Amino acid sequence: MRERMEEFEEIADEIFERFMERPSWDVRTHSLEPLCDVFVSSDRVIVTADLPKVNPESIRVNGIADDLIEITAKMRVKVNFEDLGVTHRRGEFSSFSCRVPLPVPVDTSKAKARFRRGILEITLPRKKGYEIKVE
Amino acid sequence: MEDKVKIVERREIPKGLKVICGLPDVGLVGTIAASHIISKLELAEIAYVRSDLLPPIVMLEKGLPHSPVRMFGNENLIVLSSEIAIPSSSVYSVIESMIDWIWNKKAEIVFTLGGLPIPNRYEIEKPKIFGAASDEALLKMLNEKGVQVIQRGFLVGPQALILRYCAERNIPAIALLAESFYNYPDPEASSVVIQALNRMIDIEIDVSELIEKGEEVRLAMRDMMRRTQAELARMKKSHEYDIPGYYIK
Repeated sequence: MRERMEEFEEIADEIFERFMERPSWDVRTHSLEPLCDVFVSSDRVIVTADLPKVNPESIRVNGIADDLIEITAKMRVKVNFEDLGVTHRRGEFSSFSCRVPLPVPVDTSKAKARFRRGILEITLPRKKGYEIKVE
Repeated sequence: MEDKVKIVERREIPKGLKVICGLPDVGLVGTIAASHIISKLELAEIAYVRSDLLPPIVMLEKGLPHSPVRMFGNENLIVLSSEIAIPSSSVYSVIESMIDWIWNKKAEIVFTLGGLPIPNRYEIEKPKIFGAASDEALLKMLNEKGVQVIQRGFLVGPQALILRYCAERNIPAIALLAESFYNYPDPEASSVVIQALNRMIDIEIDVSELIEKGEEVRLAMRDMMRRTQAELARMKKSHEYDIPGYYIK
């Protein structure tokens, strides 16, 4: 069991490392990848995303599959590398965009979202399974 | 054997100074606070950490290489700051060497600034400040300055080690921790720790700019937050959410 756990941790670490070794920006689509977090409880999944400088009306959340959502939002102002203190790269950014894989299937049609203090919070009810009778 | 972590001084550093540590941790509270203090007090780089235990990274500034882990200061104060998350695999050696250096410098007092992660942070208007210290007298000082002492709980990561090593070496040390986001840069929480620091030592650092430019700070700190998040997970930072085992009073 312990060996399995260690193996699982190693795989998770490797996936995370691979995810980290790419830029958090895309000059082609002028978009930045927001910081996101996923919290799973017994009946729902809560996804949060940090969206500084965005226009709240432009935030869109789309269900791609029952375990994948897409978040997009336009920024109020364009930001370029120089604004972030980087002078050796070219490109400007006008939106946030990301796809968030969910660890369990959810019912995206019943999702609710709110935006407070620059943080987007999406609450997605987990898909119901079948009940097991307790004797 | 040569020391694995070396502190290289760029100029003569007097003894008996106050030290402020702002290393990457939850919400990058300490890092943002340290960076704001360095900028407001116009502190110069006075020393840096040289170690093979850190990733092979240099910080380029105006084309010149600098260590990502540095000390800034003036005639009263040293601020320890880092542009990278301290790798979990080397956090013991790096922090212990820093504290040895601080001990050799006979620091008057050490402050470590950071965050206390709370899940519902975005529902909170003004984060509360909490503290812990290396000895009883400093706990009294925290109470007098309106900082609530953490009675029981876990502290994980660089500031846990700073507090522990300082207590072991009898260096007076205080941890100032504001309620904060875990995974998102939190300049508001940084402003709260700076305000508490202002009450504790004879400095007056204006935090209004930090709050006004909060969105810019959050934008600029995204990548550092991502990397820090990975190291915090390796350090099992979520232990801080744990309720300590039952004990009979």
